[in-house]
This record gives sequence, C-alpha cells and structure tokens, in this order.
Amino acid sequence: MKRILLLMVLGMSLAPLQAQDEPRNWTVNGYLKNMQTLLFFNDAYPDLSQGKLVDTFFQDNLIHNRLNFRWYPDDNWTVRADLRTRVFYGSFVQASPGYGDQVDDVNNDYFDLSHVILNERAWVMHTMLDRLYLEYVNDKLEVRLGRQRINWGISTVWNPNDIFNAFAFTDFDYEERPGSDALRVKYYTGFASSVELAVSMFDDIDEATMAGLWRFNKWSYDFQVLAGYTRGDWALGGGWAGNLGDAGLKGEFTYFLPVQDSDDDPAFAATLGLDYSFSNSLYASLGYLYNSEGGIRNSITGLFAFELSARNLYPYRHALFAQATYPVTPLFNAGAAVIYSPVQVHALFVNPTLTYSIRANWDLDLIGQLAFDQEAEGYRSPLQAVFFRLKWSF
Amino acid sequence: MKRILLLLFLLPFINGTLIAEKGFPKNKIHNWSYPTANDPTAKEIIQKADEKMRGESNIATIKMTIIRPTWEREMTLKSWAKGTEYSLTLVTAPARDKGTAFLKREKEIWNWQPTIDRTIKMPPSMMMQSWMGSDFTNDDLVRESSIVTDYEHELLGTETLEDRNCYKIKMTPKPDAPVVWGEIIIWISKDEYLQLKSEFYDEDGYLVQTIYGKQVREMDGRVIPSVLEVVPADEEGHKTRLEYLSLDFNEPIQPSFFSIQNMKRVK
Repeated sequence: MKRILLLMVLGMSLAPLQAQDEPRNWTVNGYLKNMQTLLFFNDAYPDLSQGKLVDTFFQDNLIHNRLNFRWYPDDNWTVRADLRTRVFYGSFVQASPGYGDQVDDVNNDYFDLSHVILNERAWVMHTMLDRLYLEYVNDKLEVRLGRQRINWGISTVWNPNDIFNAFAFTDFDYEERPGSDALRVKYYTGFASSVELAVSMFDDIDEATMAGLWRFNKWSYDFQVLAGYTRGDWALGGGWAGNLGDAGLKGEFTYFLPVQDSDDDPAFAATLGLDYSFSNSLYASLGYLYNSEGGIRNSITGLFAFELSARNLYPYRHALFAQATYPVTPLFNAGAAVIYSPVQVHALFVNPTLTYSIRANWDLDLIGQLAFDQEAEGYRSPLQAVFFRLKWSF
Repeated sequence: MKRILLLLFLLPFINGTLIAEKGFPKNKIHNWSYPTANDPTAKEIIQKADEKMRGESNIATIKMTIIRPTWEREMTLKSWAKGTEYSLTLVTAPARDKGTAFLKREKEIWNWQPTIDRTIKMPPSMMMQSWMGSDFTNDDLVRESSIVTDYEHELLGTETLEDRNCYKIKMTPKPDAPVVWGEIIIWISKDEYLQLKSEFYDEDGYLVQTIYGKQVREMDGRVIPSVLEVVPADEEGHKTRLEYLSLDFNEPIQPSFFSIQNMKRVK
C-alpha cells in the first residue's frame, strides 16, 4: 500500500517536469478524478433479508488516479506501464460484501496485475496495471508484447470486431478501456492499410483468442476483414468506415461459429451507424445493433451486470442508438444518448451528459444513466444513476 | 473544447489565409489613392500573397489562445503540411488532450485517440463545422486554397496601414464558388505582400469578422505576420489568437509521411 502511494505521489510530482523543453526519453502523465454517485433502485434492489426486490438509494464516492509511464530507450523500443488506482467509498460498497473481489475480477486478463489493497465495510481500494508492454518498431513493423489494448473496432458505438477486449458502453468512467495480455505483430502496408496478427496468453484453448486483421483503404473508405479463433468459436468479421455524402457511415459485423458441436449456437453481431456534424456544431449519431445472443424478455437491470464480449455486446437482440451533442459554449457541452430496444420489454437506456471545462485541465461532468423497461407492473424505471465528476489532468 | 480538437486538423492550412497587422482603427487609415497602371493586377497581388505564406510544405509550432470576456484557454500544437492536400496535427498541450492527433489526406480525415489506442475516421461534415465558437470559421481555414481561383479580384486602391503601404482589394466570390461570404476586403502590403487585414462581409453586406496579422517578423527566411487574430464583429471581447512559435517552409516531406502509422508516432 505504501509503495503504491509512493509511486502515485512520485508519478504526479514527475509529471510537471515535462513542461520543460529538454529532450527526455521518458514521460509521465495521467489524471486524478473524484466522482460522486447516486444510485436509485425502484423495486429493483434484491433485499436478501426480505427475499424480494425493494426500493433503495445508495450514495458513493470514487477517487480515481491514473499514471501513464512511457520510456523510450531508443528509437525502436518503447516500454509502457499504466497504473490505475481507485478508492471506492459509500453505501453501495458497504451493501455489497464482495465488492473488492468483483472489481478485481473483471479487470484482469491472464496475468494478475492487480491488487485489492483495502476491502473493509464501506471502503475498497484497488490498484492495477492495465497496460504493461514492450513495443518494438522498425520502419513499417510494430511488435507489442504484454498487456495492451488491441482495438479492432471501427464503428462508433458497438464493436463486434473488438474480440480481444470488448468494453461496455455504460462504463463511461473507463475511457482507456481494458487491455489484453497478448502478442501483436502489425505491419503497415500503406497510409491507411495494415496487416496484423495477435494472440492472447492462455493456458486453456477455451480462453484463447488468436486472429488476424487486414485493413485497407479504397474509394475513400477504410475497410477491414478479420478471421480467427476466440474462446471456443471461429470468428469471421469485417467492417468499414466511410461516408455517405457528408455523413459518416460505419459498419461492423462478426460471425461466431462454435468449433466443436457444443450446446452453443453460432452467433452473429452486426452494427451500422451514421454520424453528422451540423454547421452550428451540433453533432448527431444514429446506430443499430443486431445481437443474436441478446434477449427479448430480460429486465433492463441486467444492463449493468451481463457477461460482456464481442459475441454479446448488449443484453438485447436489437438496439437502436441515437446521440446528439452540442457545445453551448466552447467550455460547456450538453449531450444525450438514447438506446432503445424494440423487443418485448421495450428496454430504454437514457444517458444525458453535461461537461464543463472549469479551467485548463480541470473538467466537471454531470452524467445520468436512466434505465426503463416494460414489466408486469407496467413501464417503469427500475434503475437510475447520477454521476458528478471532477477531473484534473496532468 | 471537444469541437476545438475536432477541427485542429485544419490549422496547417491557415498559413495561406488572410492576415493583417495591428488593429488599425479606420481613422488611422490615410493616404488613400487610386490604382495606377504601374500596379500589378489584383489577381497577381493575391497570388503572390498566397504563395508567400504557403511554401511547398511547412512544419509549424503554434500556440492558440481563445479569448473571451471572462476566460482564456490556451493550446499548443505541432503541424506538418504539404500543399493543401496533406496535413498532420498533434496536440502538445494542455495535458488533457496531449497526444491527440489529426491526419488529413485530401478529403479523408482521421483522429487518433492515444488514451484508447484508437483511430477514428471522421465524417466529412466535420469540415463544414464552425470552428471553436465562430472566431474562425472553417471558410477562413479551408477555403484558403481558393482565394486565387474562387474569387474575382478588384483593386480598389492603395492605403497606408500604420507604416505600410498596402493594396486594398475587393474579392467577390465567383457564382459557383463554395464560399459563404458576400465579399472580402483585403489589405496586402506592397513591400512584402503581407496579408495584413481582411474584412469578411456576409451576403447582406454586414461585416462578420476581421482577421488581423500582427508581429511581422522573419521566419525561416520569409517576412510574415507571426500572429493572426480573428475578431468577430458583433461579439464584444471575443478574439482568437494564433501565434507561430516556429515555422519551417519547404522542408521536404513525402506524401507517405501523412499516414495513420505516423499519426500515432509523431512527437
């Protein structure tokens, strides 16, 4: 614990040194965030003592520090290590006995690079290295070994091609998104084209992902094709990013075929999206996801707890996405995203966002997450969350 | 601040834009005279002024300051440009946005987000977006390639701005030109072909904004205004200032430099 704190203090105190113009072969940057969370359950919180779902309300606080270290021993080699440390405190943490272990569980890949420093009553402190890799670059060749983000997504909201490390749209507070313990070899064949091969670390082939991706640019479109194996499935997919008139047009799909005759059915995930920026700076984005693994009757409360993968990016079979953001002033942005699932329960997720730049490197955000669905008792909102976040970047 | 970022890729093109020197109040303009037969044509003047600022390619370090009555924000950038086709822009400050980069190749634009290790292809409509609260419009930035070919030029006469003798030229967009302005009045110094001031009028003849060039100095062998200020006509206390901290012309850059790989690697 002391060592971690020391590292954090050291990291933050080193960061300002970079402001000087001396050539250095290392950098440190990062941020410190404080986020207040209000969580409202309406007949949706499982009360074990009463054996039923009840109304309740939680108030929590999260202090979040990130330190990104880079070391460039020479022009070919880079070492990168990113440390993410969080302190959770509040009534939801207290009400969830295994909170520390849950946090630890979802944030690891092959290697255990995390540690629950504190897990007592209403307090949890957790730290992890979510990037830790060695990179070798020689002209058009790029080789990375270690925990890295292999970001194969090309479309805006959902990424069925992101087979190494899928992320949840609801997890807005994790911009960097999780990494994978893997080896990746990439060769650039042109200004917007490349070939890459990646394989994740595994003991059991059921947990492995190994695949290749080919990117190319044609007719002012970026295209990509992927093929490989991931966690028991053959995966075959593709995607593109281009434009229709002045609007961006992006799409992405992956077909998952179980390798063995298992109980699993093949799965198909596909998404299509359009985005447009109006002359008054209003930005609008529309999208659709087809997710064969998604349900049609399940409650919306599962949105925050379903098992996420590229095979299953959203708990519902169909999802329509609409988003608009508008800079009211250069410092103040307002936006809202809505995801509606035209299924039996008419699941609806509403996500308003206000962001304000207090001063350079200081940001204040107010974010809402409201979930609605059709249950036996009618159309209702079982879950509402409000987040108030202050961020200092350095 | 996001939309500021979104349009930074346009910056490398600002070099050729309309420029002026120190806020010249109208009553300081004097010594007006009619054009004479010895003067070059208006089109030749514009052409020379345009070439002066551009170069085959350029590498610039730029400090941008947005000034409002109650606040200011500063951002520093490094940019590489070749002709009007290719550009690469890297944000070097503030810390929050450091490392974010933009690549433009002809009509295609990509954005690199280092935090999430992701390249995002941007819709072409981003090009038409107003630029950071309207002190610069995109027309200032991207239409620059056409100040020679998209306008009819008329030499109105000569005027002295502070100590420099200037050509005063009216530019009227050609009928099919992709231009939002009704007309532009531009002052170009006779000695160095410096774009010292330009007034942008809408189609109803109202002044929308003025761009001033300031702090004329030699950068990489060329005498140019090293500061550009955009002042909207009807917004008291609003201003955007671009200062070239360094500017290298004609350092050869290959088109292959403008790649997704380099967008991630430039420092």
